[in-house]
Amino acid sequence: MERLPLERKVLSENDRLAAGLRARFAEHGILCLNLVSAPGSGKTSLLERTLESLAPTERVAVLTGDIQTENDAKRLARYGFPVRQITNGGTCHLDGRMIERGLEGWDLAAIELLLIENVGNLVCPSSYDLGEAAKVVVMSVTEGEDKPLKYPSIFFKSKLMVLNKLDLLPYVPFDVAAAEHNARQVHPEIEIVRTSCQTRVGLEDWLAWLRRGMSQRVAVQV
Amino acid sequence: MHEMSIAGSILEAVRTEARRFPAGHVQKVAIRIGGRAGVDPEAVRFCFDVLVQDSELEPLTLVIDFREQGEDLDLAYLEVEDGAAAART
Ligand SMILES: Nc1nc2c(ncn2[C@@H]2O[C@H](COP(=O)(O)OP(=O)(O)OP(=O)(O)O)[C@@H](O)[C@H]2O)c(=O)[nH]1
Ligand SMILES: [Mg+2]
Repeated sequence: MERLPLERKVLSENDRLAAGLRARFAEHGILCLNLVSAPGSGKTSLLERTLESLAPTERVAVLTGDIQTENDAKRLARYGFPVRQITNGGTCHLDGRMIERGLEGWDLAAIELLLIENVGNLVCPSSYDLGEAAKVVVMSVTEGEDKPLKYPSIFFKSKLMVLNKLDLLPYVPFDVAAAEHNARQVHPEIEIVRTSCQTRVGLEDWLAWLRRGMSQRVAVQV
Repeated sequence: MHEMSIAGSILEAVRTEARRFPAGHVQKVAIRIGGRAGVDPEAVRFCFDVLVQDSELEPLTLVIDFREQGEDLDLAYLEVEDGAAAART
């Protein structure tokens, strides 16, 4: 019996595709964000609020992933920006190939901000690089403070946590400080914004974070 | 939940490597899973066994080295039977 070292990532094929996507995004100066959350935490709502606040001249595009239905894309298409639904028919996450296909036919030169809404799932999307500049994890106050500890991988890999549905705080026992402490325990550098897509509280902080990302992207360009 | 596609990726890697050893048979493949990889080792094993069953790779065993620390999901090594090693050019 001979033992042969392999020493590469199990998902090296996805990593290869993601590296290709990242190179294309860099070439066109695109900021790509990968939004991840449990089902229903408010990814589409946050994107709706984002798109409605942008001027029609902004060069934004959205890819939204779900197992079934075009519902999210329909909700997002109202704002006049290019939106595409990726229905993957059962897979619990988006992968690099789905993004490649989702981008087919789009003129990347006309896009500066690409927002990807992943399939609602706190576990699987964390393993699949989509070529994004950053992952953003959305968590809502109805989910319990302990989610960062129970699903550490996605909190560890996200640059920003959006704590959403703040308007529901009066109705649910949820300790914001404890939730944020838990997120920082898993990922000390994680940035946090608190939002309500219902009352629009905190959306300015999210939009400011986006704008910072956009300006840093420009600075990185050659 | 995504363990099936991870198991599929492991077998894809084994098949790619196996082409280098047309005379032999891969007996074992070893992976490393970090506690923060978001991957359940037992679920990977289950999916792996389902995919290997009745395939040309049978009998192939999976060795999992689980480490609390770390976020990686790596292929570590393959074990190939002797005849294959001799046939390598
Ligand atoms: N009260 C309240 N409800 C919200 C808020 N944000 C989203 N919702 C509601 O929560 C539900 C789910 O929101 P979505 O935006 O569809 O969540 P999602 O993360 O896109 O869901 P999936 O794509 O299915 O995973 C909807 O009924 C929203 O109206 C919020 O800030 N406050
Ligand atoms: Mg949605």
